[in-house]
Amino acid sequence: MGVRTCSDCTLASRASAQGAVDGRQMPIRRLPPLLVNQIAAGEVVERPASVVKELVENSLDAGATRVRVEIEQGGRELIRVIDDGAGIDPEDLPLAIAPHATSKIAAAEDLEAVRTLGFRGEALASIASVSRMRIVSRPRGAETAAVIETEGDRVEPVRPAAGPQGTRIEVRSLFFNVPARRKFLRGESTEAGRIADLIAALAMAQPHVGFTLTQDGRAALEVPLGHSARDRVAAILGRDVAPELLEARSGDEGAWVRVWGLVGRPSTARRTGRALRIFVNGRVVADRVVLHAVREAYRGLIDPTRHPTAAVFLEVDPGEVDVNVHPTKAEVRFRNSSAIHQAVHRAVRAALRAADLVPEFDLGRGGSRDAERARGALPSFVTGSEPLSGAGPAGIEEPGSAGGPAAAVGSGSGSGGSAAAPYGESDDLLRRAAAALRSGSGGFSTPAAFAPGASAPPSTHPGSPGAAARSAVARGVRPPIEQLPIPVAAVRVLQVHDAYLVLEDAEGLRIIDQHALHERAMFERIRTRLAAGALERQRLLLPQSIEADPGRMESLARVGPLLERLGIDAEPSGPRTIAIHALPTLLFERGVDPVRFVEALLDRATDSEESPSEEGALGDVIAMMACKAAIKAGDRLRAAEIDELLRRADELERSSACPHGRPTTLRISLRQLDRQFGR
Amino acid sequence: MKVVCDRSALLDALTLAQGVTAARTPQPALQCVRLSATPGSLAVAATDLEIALRIGLAQVDVKQEGDAVIPADKLLQIVRASEDATLTIETAKTTMHIRGADSHFKVYGPEVKDFPALPGPAEKGPTCEIPAGSLRRLITRTIFATAVENSRFAINGVLFDRQGRKLRLVATDGRRLALAKGECGSGEGEHRCIVPTKALNVLVRLVDDPEAPIQIAADQGRIRFTVGIGEDAAVLTSVLVEGAFPPFEDVIPKDQDKRLAIDAGELSSAVRRAALLTNEESKGVRFSFADRTLTLSSRAPEMGEAEIHLDLDEYQGESMEIGFNPAFVIDALKHVDGGPVTIELKAPNKPGLIKQGQDFTYVLMPVSLP
Repeated sequence: MGVRTCSDCTLASRASAQGAVDGRQMPIRRLPPLLVNQIAAGEVVERPASVVKELVENSLDAGATRVRVEIEQGGRELIRVIDDGAGIDPEDLPLAIAPHATSKIAAAEDLEAVRTLGFRGEALASIASVSRMRIVSRPRGAETAAVIETEGDRVEPVRPAAGPQGTRIEVRSLFFNVPARRKFLRGESTEAGRIADLIAALAMAQPHVGFTLTQDGRAALEVPLGHSARDRVAAILGRDVAPELLEARSGDEGAWVRVWGLVGRPSTARRTGRALRIFVNGRVVADRVVLHAVREAYRGLIDPTRHPTAAVFLEVDPGEVDVNVHPTKAEVRFRNSSAIHQAVHRAVRAALRAADLVPEFDLGRGGSRDAERARGALPSFVTGSEPLSGAGPAGIEEPGSAGGPAAAVGSGSGSGGSAAAPYGESDDLLRRAAAALRSGSGGFSTPAAFAPGASAPPSTHPGSPGAAARSAVARGVRPPIEQLPIPVAAVRVLQVHDAYLVLEDAEGLRIIDQHALHERAMFERIRTRLAAGALERQRLLLPQSIEADPGRMESLARVGPLLERLGIDAEPSGPRTIAIHALPTLLFERGVDPVRFVEALLDRATDSEESPSEEGALGDVIAMMACKAAIKAGDRLRAAEIDELLRRADELERSSACPHGRPTTLRISLRQLDRQFGR
Repeated sequence: MKVVCDRSALLDALTLAQGVTAARTPQPALQCVRLSATPGSLAVAATDLEIALRIGLAQVDVKQEGDAVIPADKLLQIVRASEDATLTIETAKTTMHIRGADSHFKVYGPEVKDFPALPGPAEKGPTCEIPAGSLRRLITRTIFATAVENSRFAINGVLFDRQGRKLRLVATDGRRLALAKGECGSGEGEHRCIVPTKALNVLVRLVDDPEAPIQIAADQGRIRFTVGIGEDAAVLTSVLVEGAFPPFEDVIPKDQDKRLAIDAGELSSAVRRAALLTNEESKGVRFSFADRTLTLSSRAPEMGEAEIHLDLDEYQGESMEIGFNPAFVIDALKHVDGGPVTIELKAPNKPGLIKQGQDFTYVLMPVSLP
């Protein structure tokens, strides 16, 4: 726990030595400690949210069961974090704010198995160097508390003080001595939004810890201690989303990676990725491998421009994951990332597959799209269980969703204050908030199961759901509609406006988008067919040529093998020409124009150059084929065609959404109808 | 205008004219027919601006000359539903009175001037004359191979390729090609043009007497068919399809090394049966040619399989297997005469040929076999 000089110091010196001002060689000199810390602060302390993150993580590492965060003016004026954790001994207080001083690791070997959220020992010193800081702490068992105050490089001596057990850190006037950085801070509401988002993520990671966030005196989030993982996720995502959550878990007990999560039905997908949270060993991370795996599992179920609502918790053997790759620890590195990808993908997919995904048409709220939109709004973070006295709610609501249950949670006055503002502004803000979350978030203690030498079963992980949570999941699941096949011949079907089919089922009625359903059916058929070999292709009498810019040529080279499997025989026939020699019989059968199809396909390939995997690209092309080959809205169907379509739909595994993720089927239950008619 | 006309002759003319009117159009006049009474005859005309048809009726008694424009479908319904031998049609301004023995219909139409002037007869150009029956045969043997809808406009019609008295019609949809050869009664010079499918469908229906002559005149943009002579003649004018027809002569293979003859009806029946176990993504029927046998087999995943054996009188060449879309084979066999056809092949990924005599050649491209 010694104070070491930072290697950045010498680097910085060298850098400045190379710069000559006014032709004069500047002498090399050791930087004053304040400057060193300010430079380090640049890395760790980017904005108020990063301060909050560092402080809250310290609280969690200190074993706090309750963490209270108070901010004023988006954290620019005041950030106060109060915990009931272990506290800091008075004699350690000066060390706490010294650089690279930490109680969390002592030797390099400890880095191999980091179990705490923070460990680099830079946070407090960095923050202290760019703010006016005051720490009041009373260690467990101590009679009194002690206080230390700093302002830039000026450190006041430690004095005794009064205070409850735990630590209370106040950070005022952040960046008061670094005007350049202060200038770059976003608006108050943006910073406040980032902090709210961060606390939401940390709260999900630590369901047993109680969190309170107040912004300018108004409660923005409050969750009680002792939550189960499911209750916590539900509390954060909002009550209306909770019944829409499905439980995902990996099957391989005893494996070095375990996945547990709550994943939303496709109808809960949102325009931003803020409701998609990944946690690795209790840490909030933005890991691309895991995010991609989750998104892939939703492929074909939601519109690709939308993001799933999901909280996915991974327990990974500490030896298999490197958390020391980024100063804010938002990124981690897996030793075997493809196994991680597979485990997550499989768990999420299995959960989605097992569920009935046909959305219920919401008559009360004017249609499921509106309902979806309402769910897409940010939920209130205030749970109903502990109403706040007098404080306005931090009901962070999109306008127009006021009818939703989320709005009802807020306790009245003050809605739309600074807490609500950031989300009202624009998607851009939401994106930035999400970015902030990526760059500054944390989790904390590793599950006991993976602590070296520990033998506790994995279920002791705070993220593991109890039996109660599991039954809650069970309650939230409707009987799978696919298990109630409709005897097609016996059902009266009405085609309306040559676009929708309306039919009766055991529970009420279903409305089917004929194009979307046929598209889904085609998609599955093509996929099944492809699994057995390349699609049948019809050769052309004369090659049809299409004009190709370099982009199309390049796409052709890239997706060539894929096209081959699909039965598309196309090759360059000149510097700017592509000749099509053969195409899938299927496309001809469905009257698709070959030239336009291949053109569209190559252009699509050009646009999505970063196509993640061949599987993904193949899915895209099949989806495109299915779309072009499917019945269109406006096609009048004969009775036999309707029967055929419905018969096939019954055989489909996921007929509830077209390959683009739009729903194929909505249903209205008899109960809903009865209610609407006042019976 | 006032005319007394033979109902069945009028019905035939209106039925043909109705086939020309535009199906969906913002111009109501394009859904009308124009009746023009001149001494001794009544002309029924209709147009969709691309095709114009004018049918002369001699079985009329013109009481008063004049013109009238009337919605085609309504007039057709009235004439069709009537049981009278003759109907009297009289117009006053835009109102038409149609009287039968016990009936009187009053139908309102647009102004005569709203009816577009029919595209004029083609300028003086190369002409030829061919018996109606011969031309009809050439058309029916090719038109089925045209593309229904295709961005390549050039193949939404049938190529007329005439050199002196020799006339060839060619049609293709990019996957198969049909070529039929015929002889004109008279013809001068050379001419090549693409005639839209719609015009030819109308033309085929105009032919009731196979011996009647059809005069063909064409210029760069239009073609005119005059069917019959005198007051009963029908004149069909059509715009031509612009663009280049695919180089069909290059597509017809010349070096096929496997050859067999088979009865068209027998083959057609076998292919129809094999096609029962195909579906839209696995269309192909496998044709396995071996010494003196042809085996047709098909397979639809999750449905089943079919196999049909045919004896061949002769098969020259090595055994081979090739896949074809059965619909393409049946299409061709439907339009040939009864009796044998010749099939010529080269390789599984090369075009196949179906021929009948010297007059009919059909090229079809294979499908891949699993």
